[in-house]
Amino acid sequence: MTGDHRPASGTPVRRKEDARLLTGRGRYVSDLALPRMRHVAFVRSPLAHGRITGIDTDGALAVDGVTAVFTGEHPALASVALRALSALPGYVETDQPPLARDKVRFAGEAVAAVVADDRYLAEDGAEAVVVDYEPLTPTVCAWDAGITDPVHDEAPDNLLLSRTFTAGDVDDALAGAHVVVDRDLTTNRHGGNPIECRAGVARYEAADRRLTFWSGTQVPHLVRTQLAELLDLPEGNIRVIAPDVGGGFGVKAVLYPEDVALCLMAMATPGIPLKWVEDRVEHLLAATHARDHRYVLRAGFAADGELLAVRADVWCNVGAYSVYPWTAGIEPLMAGGLLTGPYKLAHYACTVRGVTTNTSPSGPYRGVARPATVFAMEALLDSGARALDMDPIALRRRNLILPADVPYRMPSRLVDDSGAYEACLDRAVAMFDLAGWRAEQGRRRKVGGRPLGIGVGIYNELTGLGRAASAGPRMPFRTGHDACTVRINPDGAVTVFSGVTSQGQGLETTMAQVVADALGVDYDAVDVRIGDTDSSLWGFGAFSSRQAVIGGGAAHLAGADVRAKALALAGALCEVDVSDLDLRAGQVHVRGQEKPVIALAEVAEVAYLRSDRLPEGFEPGLESTKFYDPIRGAFAAGVQIAALEFDPATGEIGILDWVCVEDAGRIVHPVIVAGQVAGSIAQGIGGAMYEHLVYDEDGNLSTGTLLDYLMPTAGEIPELRIGHVCTEGANPTHVRGVGEGGTLAPNAVVAGALLDALGVEVDDLPVTPARVWELVSP
Amino acid sequence: MKIVLTVNGERHRVEVEPRRTLADALREDLGLTGTHLGCEHGVCGACTVIVDGLPARACLMFAVQADGAAVETVEGLAAEDGTLHPLQEAFSRCHGLQCGACTPGMLMTAAHLLDTEPAPDRARIRAEMAGNICRCTGYVGIVDAVEEAAAGRGDP
Repeated sequence: MTGDHRPASGTPVRRKEDARLLTGRGRYVSDLALPRMRHVAFVRSPLAHGRITGIDTDGALAVDGVTAVFTGEHPALASVALRALSALPGYVETDQPPLARDKVRFAGEAVAAVVADDRYLAEDGAEAVVVDYEPLTPTVCAWDAGITDPVHDEAPDNLLLSRTFTAGDVDDALAGAHVVVDRDLTTNRHGGNPIECRAGVARYEAADRRLTFWSGTQVPHLVRTQLAELLDLPEGNIRVIAPDVGGGFGVKAVLYPEDVALCLMAMATPGIPLKWVEDRVEHLLAATHARDHRYVLRAGFAADGELLAVRADVWCNVGAYSVYPWTAGIEPLMAGGLLTGPYKLAHYACTVRGVTTNTSPSGPYRGVARPATVFAMEALLDSGARALDMDPIALRRRNLILPADVPYRMPSRLVDDSGAYEACLDRAVAMFDLAGWRAEQGRRRKVGGRPLGIGVGIYNELTGLGRAASAGPRMPFRTGHDACTVRINPDGAVTVFSGVTSQGQGLETTMAQVVADALGVDYDAVDVRIGDTDSSLWGFGAFSSRQAVIGGGAAHLAGADVRAKALALAGALCEVDVSDLDLRAGQVHVRGQEKPVIALAEVAEVAYLRSDRLPEGFEPGLESTKFYDPIRGAFAAGVQIAALEFDPATGEIGILDWVCVEDAGRIVHPVIVAGQVAGSIAQGIGGAMYEHLVYDEDGNLSTGTLLDYLMPTAGEIPELRIGHVCTEGANPTHVRGVGEGGTLAPNAVVAGALLDALGVEVDDLPVTPARVWELVSP
Repeated sequence: MKIVLTVNGERHRVEVEPRRTLADALREDLGLTGTHLGCEHGVCGACTVIVDGLPARACLMFAVQADGAAVETVEGLAAEDGTLHPLQEAFSRCHGLQCGACTPGMLMTAAHLLDTEPAPDRARIRAEMAGNICRCTGYVGIVDAVEEAAAGRGDP
């Protein structure tokens, strides 16, 4: 550790994760093998709705290699239920059993679990379990179904929650509007589909009542807290380990009934680790889905384009259960809270509803509800622009929240601190060459050629939620803070125990950069440990694009604090006033002097090993633990603009150019940030054009494999051109979150481009060639 | 059944049930967990390995079909001294991986592409890599990495 200290932040340092992940040496839960380990396969309901009238496990137990079969009535499981709690007025709380009891509520719900010596034998056993059902009438659609048999007895109308957001006087404002536009939109159910499906290994040691749960979770500390309650174990006896995780995207931010069943079964078979690795068919059936919504909208505009009022009625299909612990409110409340996006609006009335149905539960998925709300809001603006005969981009500019407006209180009362929308739009329009594409569009209209359309989506992304707007609807916990411990080891190198988790976002790297700069050591001297509740004090985990903001804030604070401690000790050892000292590249200098006075390694050696040299008043050791607990988050602005062409004869869609500009605040790792933006745009394009989880009217999932559920490949995703503007966030590292924003615009961009090219409004997603062909065919 | 297969140059004798997939034999019998499973029905490409010189989905092959075959997996890409393969270097430099779950399949597919076509252009790279799904990167970094490795700039 010599030479000048160059800041690690802002540079594309090599990711700490890459060496192991590139060489096949990743440590995923799926890879874990433990002595005496057995394997679990779940028996899943083939029915969407039905009473369980009998389960015969004898055949399964007769399979060679099967050691146990569990059902919902097994004493180890019978008294346990996952119950997502919300203090939202009128919220109907419902139970979700670890394995179905009495009845099944969606096709794919786990009904029994078979434990065997290997997975093949466990699946043999699962096939031999015989379950008798008495069918009930399923409800599949959340807005136009009569109810014969409610999903939950507690909610006879299938309504788990509703909330109305109001500001101003919408009726009055609409009456005075120059034009009023109406849209009735539905969005397509789809899901996260990380390449590594869910996975868990649970081991219980009865002698000291300790449970270790290796889980591909995004939220290990939350899982520990929840398991302690559900399993009736002291929280300190539970260790949750999320090692390398093969993608998450929100799907793994939920504690699932299968997770709880696995732990309960492990407690019933002490000393035998139990492993369950979900396969893709199970994932499509039973991991959380998202984005199955309807928006009935009316907006009024003044003659100059000012957006005067928005009325919205929103239905979100929340599936069969309230996801634990986020509740069924996660999508509807986000939809109502952020529908108006980056636009100024005084008059707003929006009623959101969470409706339970006999489908897989809806949960958090990258962007939570906002890919749908941005589609809804931008559809209103596109319709408004046509009604006013205004340029759609000019209409958007007329209504954006500007720097002079911030902090801007949105009609849902969230406070937007960004105001960078116009700056992003200016940069995006310039990068995109809007004039050039408009000329090409005109040329094609004159001389022929595939119709070309330009689509635009502008969005605000509430990242790094603080106390004031913590994630979720009045749950019994607040998600605004994270902790980080920075420890200088006796050799002067640094180990960071951070509460963040990573499912590909490179958080080991980002945290190391932040700590290296806060402390004054080289990036290579910092090692980061994440995803283990026994090593880090606290972290809420990965959701709401929060970790760079909140976890990064804690890392910075802890790094700065341990730097102060190290300098204080160095000053005492060297008899120099601490205010004259500086720490860079692991060397302590008197400011302005090239030659260091002492190495950090020597300071650390004294702190741990040489108490004989410890000056008066200094305790041994050199570490600090800090929380970062802000009041507010950091809104992030983003704009996407693209040129698409459509073949009216076949419906074929071609993406000719796609530009995205986001405000990530100060950028810690430029390549990781660009990768987050590109990856989220790709998922957004998947949702806009390809991905659709389709249930038939009986509640059977008819897109149950990757041959039916299409995720885009390198053949579909275009070259993405990504730009940045930077307005620093009001947090220790001045960042804004970037994990989700990219998913928000593609629905709006593709639908807007279709309208621009062919003059047809698309009211449902995805925009497939077949849908385009239907819309343009006479 | 007893089979003999060569994996990354090393001969292994394995006792497998006829129904055991090559992927499970590699991962569980040989402990080579670098080969990942993403769908187990041949679509996502995460489990792609090279069998006798050709890319294959290890989830769609039975281990017994690999009896006598030479199999190459991601664990065999780097040199014995740990020096990364040019593709591995390029994937790191171009951020062609995030969570790493699709990465082994991407690397093996790309390695076969570059072994058979030394200078593919971006369109060709995209077409060839379109049999592998990545959920993290948006493919930009992956295409960049393969292009860079193809151009010979991937050497450390």
